[in-house]
Amino acid sequence: MTNWPRDAHAVMAALSDPTRQGLLDVLAARGGVTATEAAQDLPVSRQAIVKHLALLHRAGLVEAQRCGRDVRYTVQPAPLESAATWLLTVAAEWDRRLAVIKRIAEAE
Amino acid sequence: MATDRIERDVFITAPARRVWAALTEAEQLASWFGDAGAEVELRVGGRLTFRWRQHGTVHAVIERLEAPRFLSYRWALQSDEEPRPGNSTLVEFSLTDEAGGTRLSVVESGFADLEWPEAQQERHVRDNSSGWASELGELVAYVERQAA
Repeated sequence: MTNWPRDAHAVMAALSDPTRQGLLDVLAARGGVTATEAAQDLPVSRQAIVKHLALLHRAGLVEAQRCGRDVRYTVQPAPLESAATWLLTVAAEWDRRLAVIKRIAEAE
Repeated sequence: MATDRIERDVFITAPARRVWAALTEAEQLASWFGDAGAEVELRVGGRLTFRWRQHGTVHAVIERLEAPRFLSYRWALQSDEEPRPGNSTLVEFSLTDEAGGTRLSVVESGFADLEWPEAQQERHVRDNSSGWASELGELVAYVERQAA
């Protein structure tokens, strides 16, 4: 039995939105950005960026650091990796089941 | 980007009806899913019940049934729960004729829709005993892109 990682569904929900995917790409490419900087690179308002960053932050996918009046966000890859690992174990389990189905169907 | 689904397939040297039997007949089903028997109510809205000696019983409800081509059911992530939106994923099997046999594909989707209250203890989910897949999914590609 495996445990469903508590953050995995939050990660998948966070990634299910194309704007947030784009936002993560910008964060990764630039190393770290403020909401204002991210809004320059993406076709959405700064207010929307702030909301998306808050959601990514709750999912543990970004870290927020205050610098002066701004908050700078950086990508935190660990939750992505744990969600990916969990999905891989589910996929491996299907491979195992399909192999058994194959054996049964071919043996008859 | 499909982070919310898993797709696998296998080629089987047998006609579709045999593969269909392995998927839907309780006796055969129990040999690849559950180690303490399975029960099948083969109709749309019918129940599938998979039993494990150690881990209890997992329930599923059939959503679509087109023998011997397509079967889908929604199953609860945790044992002893009725499947409903928020605690279950959708599993879809497709059978396609190919030269010399049948291609069986499975898609499991809906992981992002699962509810997981913060306070809830981690609980055991379905049997999952094998090692990791050698093939990497799209999510891994995404992780690598992020890490690059």
